[in-house]
Amino acid sequence: PMKGRFPIRRTLEYLQKGEVVFKNSVKIMTVNYNTHGDLSEGARKFVFFNIPQIQYKNPWVQIMMFKNMTPSPFLRFYLGDGEQVLVDVEGKDYKEITQHVKKILGKSDKVLEAEALAKMELSNPANFGPKKYFLRECMSEVEGQVPHPGFVPLPKEMTGKYRAKLAAVSDD
Amino acid sequence: MLRAISRSHTPVIRLLAPQSEVLVQTVRGRKSRTDPKAKSKIGRIKTPPPVDPVEMVVLKERFTEYNLITRALRLEFKEEMLRKRFEEEVGSLAEERAKQEAEEHRSLMAWNDAENLRLRKIREQRMQRETEAKEQRQREAAVLRQQELENYIKEKEREILQLQEEAKNFITLDNLDQRIEEALDNPKNYNFAIDKEGRVVKRTAFQ
Repeated sequence: PMKGRFPIRRTLEYLQKGEVVFKNSVKIMTVNYNTHGDLSEGARKFVFFNIPQIQYKNPWVQIMMFKNMTPSPFLRFYLGDGEQVLVDVEGKDYKEITQHVKKILGKSDKVLEAEALAKMELSNPANFGPKKYFLRECMSEVEGQVPHPGFVPLPKEMTGKYRAKLAAVSDD
Repeated sequence: MLRAISRSHTPVIRLLAPQSEVLVQTVRGRKSRTDPKAKSKIGRIKTPPPVDPVEMVVLKERFTEYNLITRALRLEFKEEMLRKRFEEEVGSLAEERAKQEAEEHRSLMAWNDAENLRLRKIREQRMQRETEAKEQRQREAAVLRQQELENYIKEKEREILQLQEEAKNFITLDNLDQRIEEALDNPKNYNFAIDKEGRVVKRTAFQ
């Protein structure tokens, strides 16, 4: 079994299920919460469960936690143009917090779909080339096509020398 | 002969080759710089394939035209791409989109502020309730303390009175002889009997 209290938080599947993808203007996210107390329970769960997902989906956003600095918990977002967004999370549930954050500063589903579509358009699966960028290098790699003679010898009739011999014989 | 004539450092192949064909770099192949030439190839003079000047002229013309056309097409397509990208980033549509985004952003911020306000009200109420509860508890504690103090004082007073009462029956140096006489005159019998049922009998015989 895996190590840790909730090791599922470390699985790729869990991380990829993260909902919140920030807009390009969000640069820094700061979470102030307390380690004890009923009010920051939701914030603690949020930090425990959802921060890994958010960081996975937004690798270029700096996320910082501050513990036991203020009596009430809150989130603070610093945008690119210097604007600061304060989000109070006192007494809220961690699911509510994610929904709230997604609503104010997350990319909407439509925008995400459009971006995914644009990304797909760049890589056309019909192109051939180096394995690093494309699916196949040569037509012989496709199933149902003539395989590479290096792996499977061609049948006699397709080889050049047999055909040349036939042509020579028929000429004579 | 041609090699001796050409003084420039460009390889001969570059001078002889027609203007538009692609050049192949000299490749070393299997042997290194220091390997000697093969015995069968010592007297070999490599001559490039003969070139027909008329054909060359015609080919050159055609190639220049072809290259012109293909380059023009390529540049056209590049320009189209750049224009599309420009439109995408700094076009009228992009400005509208940016404005819309700003609008949405402002509305979302307003909603967020409303939420914060709501939470603030709740928090303030809770704070108020907590301060009141604290005050209440403090007052109660003060009252309790007061009570405790009074009880204590009363207890002490009671003890003092009791002591005063008992002091009347104390044996002092004055009463000493009198009390000894009294004690000797009235012998007290402390013995008692008890049976299995627990009945106490104090009237026993005195020894």
